[in-house]
Amino acid sequence: MQYIIVGLGGQGILFASRVLGEIAIKRGENVIGSEVHGMAQRGGSVISHFKVGSYKSPLISAGDADVLLAFDQNEAIRNLHFLKNGGYGIINVHKMEVFQNESLKKYLTKRNISTFLLKGYEILNEHMKGNYLFLNVLILGAMGALNLGGISFDEVEDAVSKLSPAKFLDDNMKALDLGKMATHES
Amino acid sequence: MATERAVLLGNEAIARAVVEAGCEVACAYPGTPSSEILPAIAKFADLLDTKTVVEWGTNEKVAYEVAISASFTGKRSCVAMKHVGLNVAADPFMSAAQFDIEGGMLLIVADDPGPHSSQTEQDSRLFGLFAKVPVLDPSSAREAMEMVKDGFELSERHKIPVMLRPTVRVDHCRQDVELNDPLRLERPAKFVKDVKRWVCLPAHVKTTHPKLNQKMDAVKEEFTKNFSKYNFEITAQEKPKLGIIAGGISFAVVMDLLTKLGRKDISVLKIGTPHPLPLDLVNDFIARHENVLLLEETYPVIELQITDRRNVKGRWNGYVPRAGELTPEVVEELVCKALGETCTRDADEDLKKAIEELKITPKPPMLCPGCPHRASFFAIRKAFPDGIYPSDIGCYTLGVNQKTVDTSICMGASVTQSSGFYLAHKVDGQLRPIVATIGDSTFFHMGLPGLVNGVYNKHAFVLAILDNQVTAMTGGQPHPGTGQKLRKGDSGRIVPIERAVKGCGVEFVKRVEAYDIDEGVKALKEAWEYAKDHREPAVVIFGHPCMLLRQEQPKVPVRVEEETCVGCKFCINFFNCPGLVFDESSKKAYIDERFCVKCGVCVNVCPHGAIQVISEEGK
Repeated sequence: MQYIIVGLGGQGILFASRVLGEIAIKRGENVIGSEVHGMAQRGGSVISHFKVGSYKSPLISAGDADVLLAFDQNEAIRNLHFLKNGGYGIINVHKMEVFQNESLKKYLTKRNISTFLLKGYEILNEHMKGNYLFLNVLILGAMGALNLGGISFDEVEDAVSKLSPAKFLDDNMKALDLGKMATHES
Repeated sequence: MATERAVLLGNEAIARAVVEAGCEVACAYPGTPSSEILPAIAKFADLLDTKTVVEWGTNEKVAYEVAISASFTGKRSCVAMKHVGLNVAADPFMSAAQFDIEGGMLLIVADDPGPHSSQTEQDSRLFGLFAKVPVLDPSSAREAMEMVKDGFELSERHKIPVMLRPTVRVDHCRQDVELNDPLRLERPAKFVKDVKRWVCLPAHVKTTHPKLNQKMDAVKEEFTKNFSKYNFEITAQEKPKLGIIAGGISFAVVMDLLTKLGRKDISVLKIGTPHPLPLDLVNDFIARHENVLLLEETYPVIELQITDRRNVKGRWNGYVPRAGELTPEVVEELVCKALGETCTRDADEDLKKAIEELKITPKPPMLCPGCPHRASFFAIRKAFPDGIYPSDIGCYTLGVNQKTVDTSICMGASVTQSSGFYLAHKVDGQLRPIVATIGDSTFFHMGLPGLVNGVYNKHAFVLAILDNQVTAMTGGQPHPGTGQKLRKGDSGRIVPIERAVKGCGVEFVKRVEAYDIDEGVKALKEAWEYAKDHREPAVVIFGHPCMLLRQEQPKVPVRVEEETCVGCKFCINFFNCPGLVFDESSKKAYIDERFCVKCGVCVNVCPHGAIQVISEEGK
């Protein structure tokens, strides 16, 4: 199972790959992934690769990823080529109309790529006082609820609660549930 | 303790192995992609309750010398840095290679092919060849852990420092690894005086250099005979159409590719000890393959040591691109090319078209919303629109987005370049305002000698020290100006920047609140007047904590008044904040609430007064 996680520096992408790592180690699986630290983290485009199974390289090749978790819709579109035919993307969306673009729709259809468009900012504005730091956990909640990569919501919840700093634990649990609820509403 | 498993960052895995190997003195200066190593050494040393001393040095040369001296006494020591850090530490690295050291000494140098966060993509393995020091090149976090332990042993067997050279994909990989108990070496520090051994007089080099050559011969023999765990061949099941020699992370990339393609007609020779190269293994592989592709990052270091390169397709002869990272996509194309086959990658025409139509471009790095540097740069430009702005290495190099960074070479060069610019104009009888920017940590790293030079030689320039109380770019490490240290219960003493500056002989020193643009402009103008009149450097310290420290500060919500905004883009071009965006359809600026942190600084930026504080009544 190969995951690509994309977004902008400062959005909490590294926490998401730590959660995936925690889940895998509990299952006794081998993992290897790649992260971005340093200059690029300063608000620029960032990408994490994460592979579960007997891989040697931390990098995913274009067209091989099973799952794309995108914290930003522009970064999602820029990195869609990583998804394999039949892959699945969870995309945090701030401008829904972009997904009406005909070329984009054609690409997704041709590749049989499914997407879940999550209005993360809207949800966090409404339920978490606009604290966008919880975007990562919100997306993980949706991922668990959708059972992507065969990972259950409970497994995500366990891993998040284990890795959460104490002061964020309650809010993180709330964000997870919001992510889950969002998948029910769509 | 039974063996445990954990998923660690490559740098954390390396750190764990350093502690497990019984290292007692560990030093570093932060730099991507190496920065996480030292804090993780402190974390594991606390966790495992070892005696290990863990310290940030003020620069890499300092850190190197501290570490190697500990090994003179029989202690195991290590020093970590990024590749350009070794340029700074080159002096002790070259000299000490010739010594018969006592305790094992591991030099960890993190290279950055790409580069992702560096000013060069130099290959430290070549530095190993230059200094005649053995180099280990890991292909994964797991292998790096083993190499740390073997590196210490190798170092002690041959009494020579050993270089571990992880590349960014090893440093910043995340992998499940084994955790073991630490080796608790009971080795009291014992420095045995021996002038021939510890003093690098020219007369001694006549014996130490030939001895170093003998050490290299012995290490080469070991690498050839006893290191099959790092140097091994995966022989093709069918008659090979291609032989690939791969070093470091390129081995991992190649192996995943061959598994994906299901190829059984390609042999692979993995090389984990690129210097001194186990030449017999390589020559034997080349002799058995007509078609050989050599993949290594980033310079042709293995290739260079091969005596007959005629059948080798590598970076040296340009078959493999002579610069840049060997990503899976690049490797796949090279393998196809070497096989004389075409790659079967689908063209993504629809996606390309969508990206063009939607005008989606990669987002370059920017200073964080609320970053104090942004306000400082704005003040500098406002005070001296015609100034020359030499800058330095750190987050603030991103001041280039505000047109307030004209040059950046390497750590500390902002100060010395100011001297150079001053002198170049002086010989023509001219004077131009020069305002250099340097961060607090960079100032301690290498700004000090340049400042002394400027005072001594009487150079007129303003040095703006951007003091955000942390080494920010690399993720928030302490430095002498903060006084903090890494191990639990350990604390240092603060070296105040003002006192350091005055100690260099600077008379004009003024500290301002970075968010206060007017105060900054005023101080800069005064500083330049002083510098001009006295022909000496003047210093303005812009203080405000880094946003990454997440300290509480007053929230000042702002809005752009649409009727007043004329769409001149002044705020975009010279303030350049992620929270302040230009809407191409309305031709007006607006506040992007997703990023704005309500620092309120931009209120003083708009020449038309369109950016306004939202009062409590919401107006």
